[in-house]
Amino acid sequence: MATNVGTPTVPSWQRGRVAGWLVTVDHKRIGLLYIATAGVFFAISGFLALLIRTQLAQADQSIVTGNSYNESVTMHGTGMVFFVVVPILAGLGNFLVPLMIGARDMAFPRLNALSYWLYLFAGLVFCLSFFAKGGAANAGWTAYPPLSLQSPGNGQDLWILSLHILTISSMAGAINFIVTIQNMRTAGMTWTRMPLFVWSIYVYAWLLLLVLPALSAGLTALLLERQFPGTFHFFAPSGGGSPVLYQHVFWFFGHPEVYIMILPAMGIVSEILPVFSRKPIFGYKAIAFSSIAIGFFSMLVWAHHMFTVGLSTPLNIWFMLVSMVIAVPTGMKIFNWLATLWRGNLSFDTPMLCAIAFLSVFTFGGLTGIYLAAFPVDWQLHDTYFVVGHFHYVLFGGAVFAILGGLVYWWPKMVGRMLDERITKAAFWLTFVGFNLTFFPQHLAGMLGMPRRIFTYYDTGLLQAYNLASTLGSFTMGVGMLLFLGAIVKSVNGRRAGNDPWLGDTLEWYTTSPPPAHNFESVPYVTSARPLYDLRRTLKDSGAL
Amino acid sequence: MTPLVRPKLPATVVAAVVALALAVPALAGNGGFAPVPPASPNAEGISQSYWFVTFFILGIFVLVETLLVVFVLRFRRRRRARHADGAQIHGSSRLETMWTVGPVLILFAIAVFVFAKLPGIKDVPTASAGEPNLVVKVTGRQYYWQFEYPNGVITIDELRAPVGGVVQLDVTAPANDVIHSWWIPALGGKIDAIPGRVNHTWFQAEHAGVYSGQCAELCGLNHARMLSKVEAMPRAAFAAWLAERKAQQDAGTSPLGREAYDGVCAKCHGLAGEGKVAVDAPQLQGASLVSDAAGIERLLRNGGILMSAVGRDWNDTQMKAMTDYLKERFASGN
Repeated sequence: MATNVGTPTVPSWQRGRVAGWLVTVDHKRIGLLYIATAGVFFAISGFLALLIRTQLAQADQSIVTGNSYNESVTMHGTGMVFFVVVPILAGLGNFLVPLMIGARDMAFPRLNALSYWLYLFAGLVFCLSFFAKGGAANAGWTAYPPLSLQSPGNGQDLWILSLHILTISSMAGAINFIVTIQNMRTAGMTWTRMPLFVWSIYVYAWLLLLVLPALSAGLTALLLERQFPGTFHFFAPSGGGSPVLYQHVFWFFGHPEVYIMILPAMGIVSEILPVFSRKPIFGYKAIAFSSIAIGFFSMLVWAHHMFTVGLSTPLNIWFMLVSMVIAVPTGMKIFNWLATLWRGNLSFDTPMLCAIAFLSVFTFGGLTGIYLAAFPVDWQLHDTYFVVGHFHYVLFGGAVFAILGGLVYWWPKMVGRMLDERITKAAFWLTFVGFNLTFFPQHLAGMLGMPRRIFTYYDTGLLQAYNLASTLGSFTMGVGMLLFLGAIVKSVNGRRAGNDPWLGDTLEWYTTSPPPAHNFESVPYVTSARPLYDLRRTLKDSGAL
Repeated sequence: MTPLVRPKLPATVVAAVVALALAVPALAGNGGFAPVPPASPNAEGISQSYWFVTFFILGIFVLVETLLVVFVLRFRRRRRARHADGAQIHGSSRLETMWTVGPVLILFAIAVFVFAKLPGIKDVPTASAGEPNLVVKVTGRQYYWQFEYPNGVITIDELRAPVGGVVQLDVTAPANDVIHSWWIPALGGKIDAIPGRVNHTWFQAEHAGVYSGQCAELCGLNHARMLSKVEAMPRAAFAAWLAERKAQQDAGTSPLGREAYDGVCAKCHGLAGEGKVAVDAPQLQGASLVSDAAGIERLLRNGGILMSAVGRDWNDTQMKAMTDYLKERFASGN
């Protein structure tokens, strides 16, 4: 098949430094574009978070107006969920999946490029919302009608359109991941020899494919009703619609979305822990299959976000029980990760610190979820800062720590240079301390009676103390993030990485850093989930290493 | 080994300081470590469920974090080579079964406890013949709560109730409004006020006092100012107040106009009518409109450029109380 390996002819105008990136269909470059773009949105959404925290630092402040505050909350939430976490995972998946399964590229490279450019376009439309007449979308990231129907101007419409475009991007990406993983695994890589990160991306892609259409349907109805209020009456009760219907549709998408964000993060942790423990992952099959279980059950629990709308008791009971069922496969993962550390040879490089931080704070975030599943308790805690604290422990403490760890871990593979260890460690500790200082007191503020999404409060006692702590923590995290950015900039001249700086077990470490356009000169026949470990042992036994 | 221990010290110090800072308020009250002290049987049931769940959660949390710290310390590299293998253990079916069955049992226990508590939280205590439950209609509106008693008395943002009496709330929102959520933490959980639907909840205040809460569902730019209060007062005093208030309201001398101003108007126009508290709400002090009752009514029923129709479906008594109050309070400056 030598004819296939010949260098394709590239027109000269596509070979420039910028043009090369614009026309690329290389999964690695597309992955990096995803990660860089998501980084920009992380900065924007993070800035909004600091604005929110500044406004709430003290009681009865008016640094921003009620309306600007609602815009900030809405754009922060939407930005972080849709334009940061999901795309950065798509970026890591794009870069890593073909390398990890020993493939040359994704199954549909051009479709892959389309996914990225649609994502960027969606992001630009999203940002336009800030400049719309009447201001940005301000009905929260959940955009519940009738409030989202009433929001004036076109900010909300641009918000809807941006998510529509993003949905198309994600669907194309999801199909690409599924086809790639099903068909392009290298010789010997059976389903149970596949890296756990690839497993998690596989479930992530299926979930996207299954639930995004619900979001599209809900948003289409919302857009139609906003634009033609006399003709369409899906949600506005004044026209005979049901606002609760929207909540069902939104959360049918919205809850699996949480697992879309957290499963690949769990996949990253499942890659990092064994490498820095010098052990195989404990309970490979349990971790892989628990991902499928979590993905499946996540589609059956949506109304636990709706315990206060007055559903019938049998429905509440159903959604409580299924929500609790999800805790079982999640708990399995946590215990398997713990057991992976047991009797290991632990090295605490930054990726490992991030993975351990993930383990400790995600456990907390998962456990506080049990309160929210027990619906009478949720009647007390729903829509308070307790919930804000809970989901930041899951999504920042879980997803973001894992992503940071993953970036530090795979950075050498992506650019061929190491990130500065001292800077990334300092960034990690600032972020870890700042994170807990920000989000732990929010649980307490919520139980004192502070609802979420309020632009001010009047209690100058304990409630203000908790809010001030939270604000201090958020700025500490901000400094940590800036340091991390500094480490990335500095890595341009960083230490050269070599093929396999961490002594990894999976195939991406078998090729050069960064890998060549075609990824591999050759791929060894895979006989276990740790092909490189096997290879090192064979070499050692034969005396070559 | 050094990279772990060195940076961990400052974190430990910070954690200790934070823990101390949190321990002080925790000793003073519950400090947010548990729901606010309940003052109604339904809130009591929720609080008990909270503590039951906490018992298990704390146990699991301590177990996981302890194992994590112990493993991190015990199995750190020390003098071993970085590439030296740890124990090559691939898993254990016995452990796998244990940490599947264990959580299932715990969750089962939690579910059973919650189901046992549920009737006491959800079901309204049945009224005895001599003592019917008080039924109050609660309407959530941008950005105030309106309460209507069976005898027609209307109050804004503050609900009065007899101590020990069961108060049933029919919670709703007008069809043209948005979703709000009724919540007085000491008196039970939330229930959403949804346009076009009527939800039901209840409370039974155990002691006299004022219990505060606020709207818990984002409802627009003044969501944060949509506060509410329940004042529980002795039965006789409550009955007297309700009768007196009814008489005043019929005679047009009730404080409804002032309450409506404070609850409905002041959140944008200011308590002194100074304007611009929210968005560009105009100043009312000295405005010519305040003495034009028909003009005010049109504005309240239909809304203005930025103003929503805050009084779209008010009855005549309520509208008159409002227009009279505005005239009396602000027209004098003309």
